[in-house]
Amino acid sequence: MAPSQASHAPTLDSLIKSFNSQTLEASIESLLFLLKRRQVQGDECAKATAHILRQVVAKSKWRDVDQLLSRVQSAGSRLARAAPMEPVIGNVVRRVLGLIRDEASEERNADDLVSETASDIQSLTPSTYPAQRPAPVPIRPSPSAISTGLQVSKSMFNLLSVADPGDSPMTGASTPMSQAQPASVHALRSEVMDGIEEILDEINQADDQIAGFAEIQIHPGDYVLAYQPSRTVERFLVKAASKRRFTVIIASLESPSHTTAEAPYATLRKKLNAAGVKTINLASNGLMAYIPRVNKVIFGAKAVYQNGGLLVDSGSCIAAQAAHEYLKPVIVLCPVFKFCPEDPLDEVSRRELGNPSTYVSYANGPAVDALDVENTVTDYIPPELVDVYLTNLGPQTRHHLASILADHYKTEDIGFSLQLDEP
Amino acid sequence: MAAETNGAPNGASSGVPPAAQDGTKNTLAPANPTVAAPAPANTEKLTAAQLKAKAKAEKAARRAQVKDARASAAIAPPSQEKGAAADAKGGKGKGKQDGQQAQNKGAHRSSVSGRRPSVPTTEKDVRSGIPECFSHVPMAKRIPTSHANKDVHPAVLAVGQQMATFFLNDSISRLRATLLAFRKVIESYETPKGNSLSRHFVPHVLNPQIEYLTECRPMCFAMGNAIRLLKGRVNKFDIDTAEDEAKEDLLEWIDSLIIERITLAEDAIARNAAESINEGDTIITYGRHRLVEKTFLEAKHDGKSFDVTVIDDPFDRGGQELAETLRQAGIPVLYSPNLGGLRPKVAAASNAFLGGEAIFANGSLHAPSGTADVAMAAMNAGVKVIVLCETINFDRDRVSVDSLTYNEIDPERNTADCFRLLFDNTHDKYITGVITEFESGGGNSPAQAILALLRKQEDPLID
Repeated sequence: MAPSQASHAPTLDSLIKSFNSQTLEASIESLLFLLKRRQVQGDECAKATAHILRQVVAKSKWRDVDQLLSRVQSAGSRLARAAPMEPVIGNVVRRVLGLIRDEASEERNADDLVSETASDIQSLTPSTYPAQRPAPVPIRPSPSAISTGLQVSKSMFNLLSVADPGDSPMTGASTPMSQAQPASVHALRSEVMDGIEEILDEINQADDQIAGFAEIQIHPGDYVLAYQPSRTVERFLVKAASKRRFTVIIASLESPSHTTAEAPYATLRKKLNAAGVKTINLASNGLMAYIPRVNKVIFGAKAVYQNGGLLVDSGSCIAAQAAHEYLKPVIVLCPVFKFCPEDPLDEVSRRELGNPSTYVSYANGPAVDALDVENTVTDYIPPELVDVYLTNLGPQTRHHLASILADHYKTEDIGFSLQLDEP
Repeated sequence: MAAETNGAPNGASSGVPPAAQDGTKNTLAPANPTVAAPAPANTEKLTAAQLKAKAKAEKAARRAQVKDARASAAIAPPSQEKGAAADAKGGKGKGKQDGQQAQNKGAHRSSVSGRRPSVPTTEKDVRSGIPECFSHVPMAKRIPTSHANKDVHPAVLAVGQQMATFFLNDSISRLRATLLAFRKVIESYETPKGNSLSRHFVPHVLNPQIEYLTECRPMCFAMGNAIRLLKGRVNKFDIDTAEDEAKEDLLEWIDSLIIERITLAEDAIARNAAESINEGDTIITYGRHRLVEKTFLEAKHDGKSFDVTVIDDPFDRGGQELAETLRQAGIPVLYSPNLGGLRPKVAAASNAFLGGEAIFANGSLHAPSGTADVAMAAMNAGVKVIVLCETINFDRDRVSVDSLTYNEIDPERNTADCFRLLFDNTHDKYITGVITEFESGGGNSPAQAILALLRKQEDPLID
């Protein structure tokens, strides 16, 4: 995954740069194009989504909060539909929607309570994460609240305030905001754009923040099994290597044909070796043989679901499963923006299939004719196999995930993915 | 020869004078002390005594050289002395050279039981890449046939090469080849005077063969079992048993072992396992194992319709061949080239059929790397895990609780850049049942039960 990201990164960067010169619609289209072709993947998706939503807020025409919300929602759902296997996109959209609602309600309060709170808004420095920001939920008893059995409410308090996402997704602030003044629209726009900047900062810094916990988790003399180390994991290991002497065992699903020129993860291994950390590259799919030697298993997640289950690169499940059987801790590195307020669908429809020709050549006629080849690219890991969720806010257990989700997403937006089905 | 020129004069002082006295040709006297070059021209004229003298001189020269070499390579360990002496005794010049090289480079391998030191430097390199935590695990290595012990029978030599190159890979084909080679060894064996077969054959003939095979690649457990039985058989002969009679008996015994424990066992297992396949089953398997393949084909032959999911190891790709074979036989196959997405695939299956290399006394399965992951996933998903294994593969003496106790390193991938163990160990809690040639009719007995049965059955054979 790492090398492919590296080769596509310029495309994304140049795309983000081009956002300023292009029209909004053109920017969205070009991003959709990249998403559909899988040239933007994983963390890049989150960044791209935040950038494009920033453009939506800046460039699209809207007169009140409702309109802004619907603009963001429609752009967001287009992106999410273009890459249904990247739940991160939905997360970022939800975060932005929540941000708009927050700003709108603060603005409304400001309108009500004279301009004193306005300075309060300004005092929000870019370094504060949206996570730590108080998240006032508009308390409006809704008659439809009882009918929403789709989400698990985070608390009794929220139970009454859940708006039905299917029927009226943007009711959150509709009545008071419809009379918003043009002046406040301008203020709101800049506030929201600042907020999106903060989200971008969070995404960019997440890896470093997670790496900050490396020396707590990795001890001298450990044998650490890193499964298909993503960039987050690489940074984590390199940080740990600066403090500790341990051994990294790198495993991956990749077949030998992938590793044509140089050994896989050569750059990571070079860095680790330079820091005095030994590395072993396993050429094996089965990991049960090595787990007795391993102290802990570390890998990155593509997404974390509400129940604590993970969407991961395929094969990580083998590692997690083997570690679980031998009671070795499984540490998953997952920035908070990867937490999805959704429940996983069944395993079969959640997985993604890759190109089979990497394994069965098209030159092999009989095999091409007859075989059903299935090269699974993503896996679902059930929550009971995971011991530690190491986020940029610190290590978490699965029992605490609900409160993280409640901190980051508005209940109104949780049903965002449900709107994906609508055209 | 050229290397000995400077050594010749020293030896000549003692060796030549008697030769000159005995021989009528006086031309030899000046030729010998000067250079070795004219010597070949005269060789056919030399008498037996002169030849003897010359050989003595050469030997002395070699000794001197060895002494020099030893002095220069002060680090040479004392065990080498024995090896060098053995070489000098049996010695052709070529073997000599090898011995010197080994000494000059200060190699620390002692030559065991008269075997010529085999390319020690390259061998050291091969093992040096292995990460320390796996350094105890043995690895197959290719020994040039010229470096093998002289006692090794040519048939065994060939089998050893085939094992080292993984041409013979799975336990049963290795066992069969070994037994057939031993058959040749027995056929060509002649008891030396004053010895009896039951006393002489095992230590002096059989053991060097076994040693060589082990060196080529660690023995599989089936081979260990067969050799144990063979030795037991030989020891049972009365000391007075006629050689021909004993040989005949051994050959017969080997034939029956091959037929009963390999050929018939394979058929019986395939039959038993095929019977346990139900109409409409989806069976998951890992890699390619001949018993599993045979079972599927047999079940198909019986007219059952079932699906097979083949999970493959991308570093081995045996599963792909299996998938193609099954496909050609008309069995619907889902082929997964790697272990990705294993859980849903396993959950969709009704049975998992796995082939084994060996089963240990604690019931755990020794099988190609990755089998344990499939077995565990299947067991956790509530899918029956059925292991197919001949009883000759059951090891009743060894216990293995993890995959690092008995394993092998892939000689192709043995460095930190690319490392691979060939086998893994599946705990018996992940195995629903083992099908062997003993049980009939879908017998899914746990490994422990079969071990008990085996103990009962085999004991009379040994004692």
